[in-house]
Amino acid sequence: MSFREKSAWITLIAFVIASVMYVIHAGPHMLVPNPGIWTLHLIGVSIAAFILIELIAHIVLWVRFPKDARTPRDERERLIELKATRLAAYVYVILSFVVIIAAPTHGADGFGVGLGVLLAFVLAEIVNYAARIIYYRRGV
Amino acid sequence: MTKTAVTNKIRRLRFDHGEMTQQELAERIGVTRQTVNAIELGKYSPSLEVAFRIANVFGVPLDQVFSYAAGEKG
Repeated sequence: MSFREKSAWITLIAFVIASVMYVIHAGPHMLVPNPGIWTLHLIGVSIAAFILIELIAHIVLWVRFPKDARTPRDERERLIELKATRLAAYVYVILSFVVIIAAPTHGADGFGVGLGVLLAFVLAEIVNYAARIIYYRRGV
Repeated sequence: MTKTAVTNKIRRLRFDHGEMTQQELAERIGVTRQTVNAIELGKYSPSLEVAFRIANVFGVPLDQVFSYAAGEKG
């Protein structure tokens, strides 16, 4: 497994853990149109958890594989990142569009719409890193 | 597994050149070992520049390294 595939695994797992943390703590409040500004602290905790996991895991990766970490991306790795990012962009645009159109009709306020768009971003990033791993495994 | 229509003889050429490792070839052409492995397995078609670099390392023309099976992939 290449250094950047390991890195993609770390980021994917960090996104999933942070998302699950948020969903568990926000729980049923997520389903109401106006979740309330108090959920901001939950988002903050989830982002902090994401950054912490990313930092610690990548430091371990850099220490264990210093030569691989210094190797610049080659053309295959750049192509994989481009293809996965393009896929994630489609997911983000479509989900954001659905949220912006549908949320106000269900009584969501500006904060609720913003939260929906943030959720769309997180889902798009999960798609992004999952797609990278698939491309690394199956070929591109 | 996604296979390309481009086949190659890199493994054979590495063997013929003193059992050159994938890592050694990767360093000489400026890609990662995993990319050399993906090219060998037909999971990735390299750019023309990398293809020429590979041929240069082995000192053979490009068509002795790569061949294209027309019609196998649309």
